[in-house]
Amino acid sequence: MVLEAVWTRTPVWMGAARLLDHRRMLTLLMVGAVVLSVSGIDWGSPLFHTGGGGAARDFLSALFPPELSPSFLVLALAASWQTLAFAVAGITLAIVLGLPLGVIASGSVFGSGRSSIAPIAAARFFLAAIRSIHELVWAVLFVAAFGLSSLTAILALALPYAGILGRIYADLFNNVPQEPLQALRSSGASPFRVFLYGRLPMALPDAIGYTFYRFECAIRAAAIMSFVGIRGLGYEIQLSLNDLLFGQVWTLMLLLVALVLVVDRWSSTLRRSLIT
Amino acid sequence: MTTRIGISGVSPTSHPIRFTRISAITFLVLAVFSWGYLLVGNNSGLGNFSSSEMWDNASRFVQELAGVQAPVRPAFLNLDRWFETGKLAYQTLAMSVLAIGLAGIAVLATFLPGARNVGNGDLGGACSPGWRLLYYLVRAVFAFTRAVPELVWALLLVFFLSPGIFAGALALALHNYGVLGKLSAEVVENLDPSPAQALKRAGAGNLQMLLYGVMPQALPHFVTYLLYRWEVVIRTTVVVGFVSAGGLGRELRLSLSFFHYTDVSQIIIWYLILVITVDLLAAWLRRLARLE
Repeated sequence: MVLEAVWTRTPVWMGAARLLDHRRMLTLLMVGAVVLSVSGIDWGSPLFHTGGGGAARDFLSALFPPELSPSFLVLALAASWQTLAFAVAGITLAIVLGLPLGVIASGSVFGSGRSSIAPIAAARFFLAAIRSIHELVWAVLFVAAFGLSSLTAILALALPYAGILGRIYADLFNNVPQEPLQALRSSGASPFRVFLYGRLPMALPDAIGYTFYRFECAIRAAAIMSFVGIRGLGYEIQLSLNDLLFGQVWTLMLLLVALVLVVDRWSSTLRRSLIT
Repeated sequence: MTTRIGISGVSPTSHPIRFTRISAITFLVLAVFSWGYLLVGNNSGLGNFSSSEMWDNASRFVQELAGVQAPVRPAFLNLDRWFETGKLAYQTLAMSVLAIGLAGIAVLATFLPGARNVGNGDLGGACSPGWRLLYYLVRAVFAFTRAVPELVWALLLVFFLSPGIFAGALALALHNYGVLGKLSAEVVENLDPSPAQALKRAGAGNLQMLLYGVMPQALPHFVTYLLYRWEVVIRTTVVVGFVSAGGLGRELRLSLSFFHYTDVSQIIIWYLILVITVDLLAAWLRRLARLE
């Protein structure tokens, strides 16, 4: 009773907020935040550093044409394959880790009793924890702990992705239409059977579509694993930049863009064909 | 309408099941080859993970993070250090806001011609070669900026710009410009066209159709996407700090290379505080965007 009274009394600042109406308040808050962040920059120092403008011109003119010699193309294609391989390995491990966690977090395989709260909460907390940390932060920590190797990078990529996939899978399992599940239940199916024959098949198209979208992100993530020393497109971009070979940088960037766009097109086509 | 040919030359609309099956098989083959390539290659790390030496090292690393037997007072027991790294956390937050702000302003200025139904004259715009060219141009810029990860943008930008918060924010903004631009253009493509067309019948010009028929419907979606992207950006800001000399990221990298492991754990605590704060703030602001 007391709690309810506290809850329903409107604080003064919320009354003021009502006067403003929500949309206007949102606009004010967002504009204010950007202005505040702009004022935090040290505008005294020059925007371009010495020679930066010239380097920018050199970089842009190097696009016409980019480096296309056969020997470099072979190297660039090999780097693309390495990046793709890390992305595929990372996302498959993420699915393997994320799916069971997502099933537990959705709570759909347990009965509705009190005992199911603890595993659901634990799985949700674990998923939230692993996805809060960026894959590259995991990578620098894992390299410090385990040393640099392919498995370290795959694990670093897979952990946050498992956290994201698991959470989305859990939501998808919970958001399926309820009538077919009721039909299964009334025919005496256990929660696990309801999951296997009801929730899983109904959630599958969306789950596959989202996983493919994440696969596209994983390619970018695999490319930047170069920061801990993993070979691939990002690694070669860094090397070429250090040697001021801007034509090579363009070739590598265009290959990365092509790789991402192919997977993007694959995933959007697949999503369309899963819906029909 | 142009017909779209899917990968492997199978038209998805006529053979959806075949396309799904081919995709599944392709992905499985890719997975087998990738794992095979990475595990067979030198330095797979497979041997390391079964050696007790590596696990000893890992447990020592965790102990050092926790400040067990640290030679100096652990950073997380030192109030002054909390304030110093707190300032960096504020810088990181400012960088993320600036990044998402820059991306949002740029997207607002350019996303309308990137929608197919604006470019072909259904909703403002006009069915002319100029608008069509603009559509392809805007979409190509979205695709390119989106496909290049933030960190690669940062690497390039610190080549030209003085390293600092602004260079990092610009790198983050470039990638998110592509992401948000594509999402916003797709929102317009899926909009209900009737308000804009009613305006047209009432004699509205192109600009009026876009401003009063399209924008009011598209803006709430845009703001929602913007706030979702902010949650991603705050996680990535730390990483961009590795190269662009700003905020927590740079400090994390320095502390790791100087083996100041208790500083590392302090930075990670700040990082988690930032991530959780931004997630909560963004969720609250999204609720504001939804309410009338």
